Amino acid sequence: MSEHRLKTSLGRAFGAAPTPARRAARWLDRNLGGSSILREELRHIFPDSWAFFLGEIALYCFIVLVATGIFLALFFHASQAVVIYHGSYHPLSGVPMSDAYSSVLDLSWNVRAGLLIRQVHHWAALVFVAALIIHLMRMFFTGAYRRPRRINWLIGLSLLLLVGFNGLMGYSLPDDLLSGTGLRIAFSITESIPFIGPTMATVLFGGDFPTTGIIARIYPVHIFLLPAAIAGLLGAHLGLLWLQRHTEFPGPGRDDRTMVGSPMVPQYALRTTGYFLLLAGVITAFGAWLQINPVWLYGPFRATDATTSAQPDWYMGWLEGAVRMFPGWDIQIGGFLLPAIFWPAVVLPGLIFTPLFLWPWLDSLALRDNRFVNVLQYPSQRPGRMAVGAGFFTFLTVLLVGGGDDVFASAFGWSLPVLLRALQILVIVLPPLVAALTYAIARRRSERWLVS
Amino acid sequence: MSDDARQTHAAPAPSGENGAPGGHGPRGPGWVPTWPATVGLVVTLVASVGFAVSFIRDASTQWLGGFLAAALLGIGLALAYWGRDLAGDEVISGPYPVPHEDAEGRAALGDALDQSVQVITRRHFLTKMLVFAGGVFVLSQVVLLGALGPRPKNSLRTTSWRAGSRLVTFDGVPVTRDTLAAGTFLVAFPEGHLDSADSQITLLRIGADPHFKTLAGRESWSPEGYVAYSRVCTHAGCPVAQYEDQAKVLVCPCHQSTFDLMNGAQPVAGPAGRPLPQLPLAIDAQGNLTAQSDFTVPVGPGFWDEG
Repeated sequence: MSEHRLKTSLGRAFGAAPTPARRAARWLDRNLGGSSILREELRHIFPDSWAFFLGEIALYCFIVLVATGIFLALFFHASQAVVIYHGSYHPLSGVPMSDAYSSVLDLSWNVRAGLLIRQVHHWAALVFVAALIIHLMRMFFTGAYRRPRRINWLIGLSLLLLVGFNGLMGYSLPDDLLSGTGLRIAFSITESIPFIGPTMATVLFGGDFPTTGIIARIYPVHIFLLPAAIAGLLGAHLGLLWLQRHTEFPGPGRDDRTMVGSPMVPQYALRTTGYFLLLAGVITAFGAWLQINPVWLYGPFRATDATTSAQPDWYMGWLEGAVRMFPGWDIQIGGFLLPAIFWPAVVLPGLIFTPLFLWPWLDSLALRDNRFVNVLQYPSQRPGRMAVGAGFFTFLTVLLVGGGDDVFASAFGWSLPVLLRALQILVIVLPPLVAALTYAIARRRSERWLVS
Repeated sequence: MSDDARQTHAAPAPSGENGAPGGHGPRGPGWVPTWPATVGLVVTLVASVGFAVSFIRDASTQWLGGFLAAALLGIGLALAYWGRDLAGDEVISGPYPVPHEDAEGRAALGDALDQSVQVITRRHFLTKMLVFAGGVFVLSQVVLLGALGPRPKNSLRTTSWRAGSRLVTFDGVPVTRDTLAAGTFLVAFPEGHLDSADSQITLLRIGADPHFKTLAGRESWSPEGYVAYSRVCTHAGCPVAQYEDQAKVLVCPCHQSTFDLMNGAQPVAGPAGRPLPQLPLAIDAQGNLTAQSDFTVPVGPGFWDEG
């Protein structure tokens, strides 16, 4: 025993026994320097709450998307050259189609694990946007967007826009009937913009729709341009998070100047690596057992073919709903035409995202409160904000329902025009109602909260 | 993992000699079983082999993905459990970084920036030239957009229909006066342009239906009860493909715009704001259906200088 003690004290005095970790530390210090900074960062504090996992879900979805995307890129042909299909999916045997669509069929039917990876890629994208939106809502309702995190709020919102747009690019690539229909609508929306619209549409698409080069044009945008932008913004987002550290919920020992949580190494690192693998596992299970976007059923895109009940991916549903619900108010101005679709497809997204981007500043202006904060609020602490958020969310939900109005109408046997009119009324009436109700409930809760 | 334990700073995990997690030592307070992590890792072991074997044997997506998912979930579960329960519940606290709100620090930063800016802007003329030349350079790069595609010219306004174009079906078979019975319809194209997206039409034979309203100026457009409308939706450009016989309407499958075939294809429901353009028809000496001319207004979705 005493011998053992002697050994350890000697070890301390003469430089500890060379464990692999110590050797690594020495190597790092020799080659990079700054081992003291690194040592401090190993103890970086991560507050413990399920709420902080939401952003991590989004980050991990991005990793899954990049990994699966690289696999898919090895097999996809971004070409609209016409080929005659003779692959394993016999119902389409002998059908003329684009090389792009044919390569997606081969990828799905002939490449081993191809269909799995394709479906995991698609599911990861769907979960990615969902995680971003829920993360955003958490930030909103707990006041995490306040100073000093306004810039990171802007970065987060930009990420949502880029990721949603890249999702749209992604499901446009297979050149199946659905993706072509989506591009057709995108062309029409671009055309509707005053003054620059028609030129913008033909310049972006390389001519009047349908053009033969659009897939080749979308491909680098989808696999390089937007992912690079997303990766850059993610890096900035995480860098700021690292510098400013996480917010924390109120609790003993916690205030705007002091944070409490687990150290990054080992507790947090183990946990979050575990969560990453769990998430990857769940998405892989989706990809294995839940069919998504079976492009072989839709057939190749032809401008003269139409699908029944064409629907975009879920995160475009609100836009689809707005486009379906907005009345056909085409306006003639002198010798010009302002198509009705301009309002729901171009103006409305601007109206939705502009106040979201400005929200941290609007909030501090309205409250005349510009303090530097690190402790979060509970949602009901701010009844006004909760009401705005609930109303906003209701508005988007009604639009989302509108995006599937034909599906609901046929599933429940309702008349489509009647349902459409009902939704047009609800989208105006329901948000203020929900907001008022939320305000009343939150108000009562916050009073009780203040008393206790 | 009680709240009390979390507030103690740097509360060491129950480890070491008394109740080592995972060890066979005495199970003291706070002892945590290791078997969940073990089970997770065993699942990963087995499933990884399963994944490789099912890949080699070219098994179904369900097997392949099932094994891969299980492998990921097993190790994920083990690590999450390890990080949450086995690694101990070390809680530490520390300061948040504070912005330099002191006047002194801000002044110092301002001075430093000021000096740097002055080094540049001291040269007034050069500074102005720099801004000017830089701005012109950036603007000049906009011309690169021109490489992407042509300006629209006439392509949005015209289709492939010309005076005398014969109507043909999907297979290129000419449509004659006997092709359709009253109350039926088909999709037609101008001869030689089967792939022309903006020229597709819905051809109906109304016959002598008394409900059919001939619009002013279009009296000669529907010979022998044949009437043709553009099949490109005026809302967002999808093919208006659903024909509802009872209501005599065409419905677009994309956004459910509905057009009344008995009344100039006016929109009667859904988001479209303008009717489907009508193609003036004629019947030539051989009994073939032909177009009198191109459409008289642009087909498809609206655009700014269409009006």
